Amino acid sequence: MKVQILDKNDVSVRLLIEGSNAAFMNALRRIIISEVPTMAVDDVVIIENSSALQDEFLAHRIGLMPLKTDLDTYNLPENCACKSEFGCNLCRASLILDVEAENHTITTYSGDFKSENPSITPVSEKIPLAKLAPSQKIRLEAYARLGKGKEHARWQPVSMCAYKYMPIITVNTKLCDLCGDCIKMCPRNILVKKGEKLEVRNTTDCTICQDCVDACQKTPKAIEVKWDENTFIFRLESTGALTPKRIVSEALNILDEKLTDLQSQLKGK
Amino acid sequence: MEGLSIKVKIMKQKKNELKIEIEGESHTLCNVVQKTLLEDNRVDFAGYHIPHPLTASPQLYVRTKGKSKPDTVLKAAVKQIKKDTASFRKELAIASKKIS
Ligand code: SF4
Ligand code: SF4
Ligand SMILES: [Zn+2]
Repeated sequence: MKVQILDKNDVSVRLLIEGSNAAFMNALRRIIISEVPTMAVDDVVIIENSSALQDEFLAHRIGLMPLKTDLDTYNLPENCACKSEFGCNLCRASLILDVEAENHTITTYSGDFKSENPSITPVSEKIPLAKLAPSQKIRLEAYARLGKGKEHARWQPVSMCAYKYMPIITVNTKLCDLCGDCIKMCPRNILVKKGEKLEVRNTTDCTICQDCVDACQKTPKAIEVKWDENTFIFRLESTGALTPKRIVSEALNILDEKLTDLQSQLKGK
Repeated sequence: MEGLSIKVKIMKQKKNELKIEIEGESHTLCNVVQKTLLEDNRVDFAGYHIPHPLTASPQLYVRTKGKSKPDTVLKAAVKQIKKDTASFRKELAIASKKIS
């Protein structure tokens, strides 16, 4: 197996993986979406809420707010030594929201939360939670804990995670008369005319839609789009809770744990 | 980080056949194990199915050729996938060093 980083930034990464198979890629994708833990609010104690939003609605918005996650300090509640249904400071973090609109209408944002642990804060300070008219108030305490995406989408570490086969685009220069039909058709602008040649660029952006092949009027077709079943472009976009690299390495650890579990139980039988 | 998250139960074990139930798992693990088993030429047939999407655990079945034992090939498949995760991890570490 060979892994290359095609591009990356703080929240997303694109990997080129050679010598693997779809089943392995899919195992990783499924684990990333549903089993890599992140922090999210799942319990809200509302002390006062005179805003226009009902308590449930407000709690739901708070639950969906991505939080920066510290996987090294916190435990999943089911694995925490405290075994308490209320949690301890190793499996729960509390955040406080205390806002009041005085003379003007205000919007309260995720950034208004005060966290007991400065490393567990909302990923963005600009997520609007509610609008408050003059003299309306919200006072609440929110409890965040680690959880998994399979329980509820608020614990999903990614907003997107997908893979595709590596496209292989070949142009038969003997048949191609540079009519340009395929160039116009391609939604990703992969094909360009360069001098007396049809050039293929940014192949990794191709979606293998075959529109260029359909557009070509020649028989047989002068262009062909195939894919390599053992090479993948794996892309993910983090919510900001964890770094993309951490998400991938956690997923690998989880897959490894599953395999170790299976291995140990097969041995005994 | 976790305790045992899956529980394996033998449903059928014969000279050339093995059927296990993997409680707590889904397509995630079964599909990749099946795929790896099918690449082994000692394997005659490998498959899995989930009797009910909400309430049942997946059942993995493997049938081998000749003298090969089904539990041996299954263990080999698990080992192979572990090798893949290890090499993925290694490659990723090298690749991120290169880029940063
Ligand atoms: S398959 Fe689709 S995306 Fe790829 S080059 Fe052809 S038209 Fe463009
Ligand atoms: S449509 Fe066919 S003939 Fe025309 S430029 Fe594209 S590949 Fe060449
Ligand atoms: Zn605890």
